[in-house]
Amino acid sequence: MNKLQRKLVRDLAASKGLILAVAVVIFLGVALFGASFMGYQNLKSSYDYSYERLRFADFTVKVGEAPSNAVEELEVIPGVAAVTGRVNTDIALELPGDDGKRVEARVISLPSGERAAVNDVKVEEGSYFQGDDGNVLLVEKSFAKHHELNPGDTVSLTVDDQEISFRIAGIVTSPEYIWAAKSRQEILVSPETFGVVFVSQDTVSELVGKPSINEFCFLIDEGADRDSIIAQVEDELVPYGVMEVVTREEQPSYAALEQDLEGFGAMAAAFPLLFLSVGALATYILLTRIVHSQRAQIGLMRAIGYSRRQVLVHYLSFALVIGIIGALSGAIAGYLLSEVITNFYIGFLGLPFTKIEMQWLAVAEGIFIGILPCIVAGILPAYSASRISPAEAMRTPPPATGRKILLERLFPFLTRLSSLWKIPLRNIFRNRRRSLYTVIGVTFGVSLILVSAGMMDSVEALIDFQFNDIQRYDAQVTFAQPQPIALVDEVNGWDEVEEAQPVLQIPIRLEHGEKTYFTFVMGLSPDSELYGLHSTGGGQVAVSDERILLSEGLRKTLDIDAGDVITLRSSFAFQQVEVAGFVKQPLGSFGYVTVEQAQELAGGQDIISGLMLNVKPEYIDTIREKANQIPATASVELTAETKGEIDEMMDLGMAIMWVMLAFGATLAFAIVFTTVTVNILERRREIATMRTLGEGKIRIAGMITVENLLLGLAGLIPGILLGYGLALYYFRLMQTDMFSFDLVIFPTTYVLTAGVVIFIMLISQLPGIRQVNRLNLAQMTKEQAT
Amino acid sequence: MSKPASGEKDNSLLQLEDVSRSYQMGQVEVKALIRVTLDIVRGEFIVILGPSGSGKTTLLNLIGGIDSPSSGKITVDGIEITALDEKGLTGYRRNHIGFIFQFFNLIPTLTAKENVEFAAELVEKPGDVLEVLELVGLKERANHYPSELSGGEQQRVAIARAMVKDPPILLCDEPTGELDFETGKHILAAMRRINEVNRKTVLLVTHNTAIGDIAHRVIRLRSGEIVEVRQNPSPADPQELRW
Ligand SMILES: Nc1ncnc2c1ncn2[C@@H]1O[C@H](COP(=O)(O)OP(=O)(O)OP(=O)(O)O)[C@@H](O)[C@H]1O
Ligand SMILES: [Mg+2]
Repeated sequence: MNKLQRKLVRDLAASKGLILAVAVVIFLGVALFGASFMGYQNLKSSYDYSYERLRFADFTVKVGEAPSNAVEELEVIPGVAAVTGRVNTDIALELPGDDGKRVEARVISLPSGERAAVNDVKVEEGSYFQGDDGNVLLVEKSFAKHHELNPGDTVSLTVDDQEISFRIAGIVTSPEYIWAAKSRQEILVSPETFGVVFVSQDTVSELVGKPSINEFCFLIDEGADRDSIIAQVEDELVPYGVMEVVTREEQPSYAALEQDLEGFGAMAAAFPLLFLSVGALATYILLTRIVHSQRAQIGLMRAIGYSRRQVLVHYLSFALVIGIIGALSGAIAGYLLSEVITNFYIGFLGLPFTKIEMQWLAVAEGIFIGILPCIVAGILPAYSASRISPAEAMRTPPPATGRKILLERLFPFLTRLSSLWKIPLRNIFRNRRRSLYTVIGVTFGVSLILVSAGMMDSVEALIDFQFNDIQRYDAQVTFAQPQPIALVDEVNGWDEVEEAQPVLQIPIRLEHGEKTYFTFVMGLSPDSELYGLHSTGGGQVAVSDERILLSEGLRKTLDIDAGDVITLRSSFAFQQVEVAGFVKQPLGSFGYVTVEQAQELAGGQDIISGLMLNVKPEYIDTIREKANQIPATASVELTAETKGEIDEMMDLGMAIMWVMLAFGATLAFAIVFTTVTVNILERRREIATMRTLGEGKIRIAGMITVENLLLGLAGLIPGILLGYGLALYYFRLMQTDMFSFDLVIFPTTYVLTAGVVIFIMLISQLPGIRQVNRLNLAQMTKEQAT
Repeated sequence: MSKPASGEKDNSLLQLEDVSRSYQMGQVEVKALIRVTLDIVRGEFIVILGPSGSGKTTLLNLIGGIDSPSSGKITVDGIEITALDEKGLTGYRRNHIGFIFQFFNLIPTLTAKENVEFAAELVEKPGDVLEVLELVGLKERANHYPSELSGGEQQRVAIARAMVKDPPILLCDEPTGELDFETGKHILAAMRRINEVNRKTVLLVTHNTAIGDIAHRVIRLRSGEIVEVRQNPSPADPQELRW
């Protein structure tokens, strides 16, 4: 090791606190990148592998009813690789146990003998159908897990008012229900009220009495034109009443996972970018300080014959070392973190297949993107070091000019302040660039904390809004078949019920110009208080005749505005109505009309599909049992129970947000620590002089604190604005027809964020203050001469 | 004591022709050096005297290639250094010049020995580091950091650092300023020895008129101009100096 390298090592060791603080920022950026990017890759390849192994459909067509041999005409369409016909219907299912709990089951048929050519399942426990073993079914894993169902258990399905027992043959996973969503509108659905089961095609035929199907699943040849195949398929299927075509991208589970993945992808880009730019800024600040404080040494090096290039490389090495320390440790941590995230997800979702590979390229990329910003940030100060004129640099530095700052000239009373205030104020304005760095550091710290905290607030607000402001009912009863409206009055007469209101939910196609969207309309009574409709403009609204209210997500999806006319198409009817307005709807996108209008769309009968109930508090535990006495009841959803379930599901997201928050706080600490410490160290001599002149340590600490607090406060406002802007931007990205979040940041969050950052500032100035207070005054004056 | 062979044209080492250096300080122009012309012979020992602010450091900086004149020409060993580019100047400073700076400028994170090695590593055939340290009387303090040395000891490290490169020209800016009488004499004797035995050319800046006695030639500066050049027919032995 030559002496220049030795000097580097010793200099690094002398500022190891600062070097580490900056390296930590790089570390966090690279770790975040590695974790999210590799996590993203692992999940994506595992999803894709599962889709491939289980032959997940490229698209699915729902029809009214078709004979099972209709498949034959579809198989021959050019480009179709495989097609299966199946029954897909929602039936009430009674779970084993004394309380006779009922849930809505999605019953899907699978071939009895050979496995399905499209949308197969993977048997995780037990076995597939094995010939003539009576009434058996397969249960989707997440549902089975929730209700602790095992192979051999018995459940019963209600078909034509008859309960038929089934033995569970196996527990399976399905590519269509990796995320067990009921529909695009019901992405977050609790296994408490909904589950998926599979029965054999033979059994279905026996039960229903005729071999018919209502859904076709297609796999197409690679490179085939899906849109034109869909068009041909639709033509073929016209006689059977095409209801809906669902492409792979629209399939609820696929779409939900895809959106979640996209979130990962965005995180893999946005957050590391933020961290690494802060890391670059911190590197720049630190290196600028090092170069500044070593001016005389640089002059000497140049004077005795070190070349410009040697000086440049020497100072760039400081940045390089920071980059290497941060990037290498970050890459390792990122890899480990990605394993944790991947395993957590795989466990949480219960993926059929996983495919996890060591991603050397991602590791290398992480290292590269960690080192790059340091080098870029280091080039400028290192270059300016190499340009220092030796004669100039070795003269003793000119004394800092002491003059009144502009502020003092504008407000003369400031000069009368005690020096505890005056000196910090002068310092802030005397070195504006240095002050600006601290303000920028605080700004970044605040904004990062605010973004993560804002996400958490928003999710909390969303759940609150959904369950307190929209779903104001205590329980919702869903019927397997439509029921007469007279049932409303009957249930209103029950002792347990304070109020019952009707719902008629029917599948519908919304059309506006070229745009169409498949969803449900909900028929509600105009005076419905149990289902809250909140206008996007603020205030409550109600359904009205001949008009429709839409979820706000549809404004964009359908490119429609209030006052426009929209077409509603159901299997029975077709209406054109005016859009009355838009309502806030965080989960899913629906249309809202009056019960009467929904009945028209349903074919003109006086029917309802469900009831919303307000239950007397003492009966909340028994209402499910009571409602199950209505034979058609498919499920009884208790709002409190669902909210609990959703809260649990959200825990995953919350865990990620907490990690982000911790990262944000660490970032804030690192950047504030760097700027504050640099700020203090740059004035060592000045402080030493003040001490020799008789200022006490406490007063000096006080002055530093005042200065930092003033800078901290100055960074708070832009930090809050930046954080709010970032969060808003992120939320805009996340808006889809499935989720539409409003950014909500509670006032307490602002206060807490400010508090946390101020606290961080106070903590991070301690090492600097301790260092200057330990200064050996005699040595300081000597250093001045060297 | 032998005199350097002056007068022989090919023995001339260093020529300054009409060299001026001025600094622009806002509106005022500070003339640090005004039309200095000087010819220095190989092996000469020159003492530059002058009051504070008279341009002594400026003159050494120009000769040492760490500053460039506002006008004029400087030639060293046939090389016109005022025409050299940055790279050429670096090589010149590395191989031709040993500089003892007025403010010693040691690297605080390197020990005394390492500070000397820091310079030794720049040249192909450096002197022996410990030997040089012994010459300045600092062998025992070789492993001390600058902050653990007295001002005079730091100055001696700076002297050792300049000598270790074994350069043909030694530029010394107040090398004895911080030293007590005895040590100062010791150092001056060492420089005379280097000058005589190793035939190095030495330019030494000082306030101290008495030191002029040991030089072949004394140059007196005032307000940036050479006001007197005095040949010293019989330079004194440093050991005989009094001040
Ligand atoms: N970089 C500079 N900018 C402005 N003025 C300068 C600069 N360097 C030197 N000077 C001025 O040039 C003049 C000569 O300076 P120089 O350092 O050469 O003096 P000196 O003879 O070495 O003095 P001392 O004995 O105090 O070291 C002085 O008036 C000084 O103020
Ligand atoms: Mg001087």
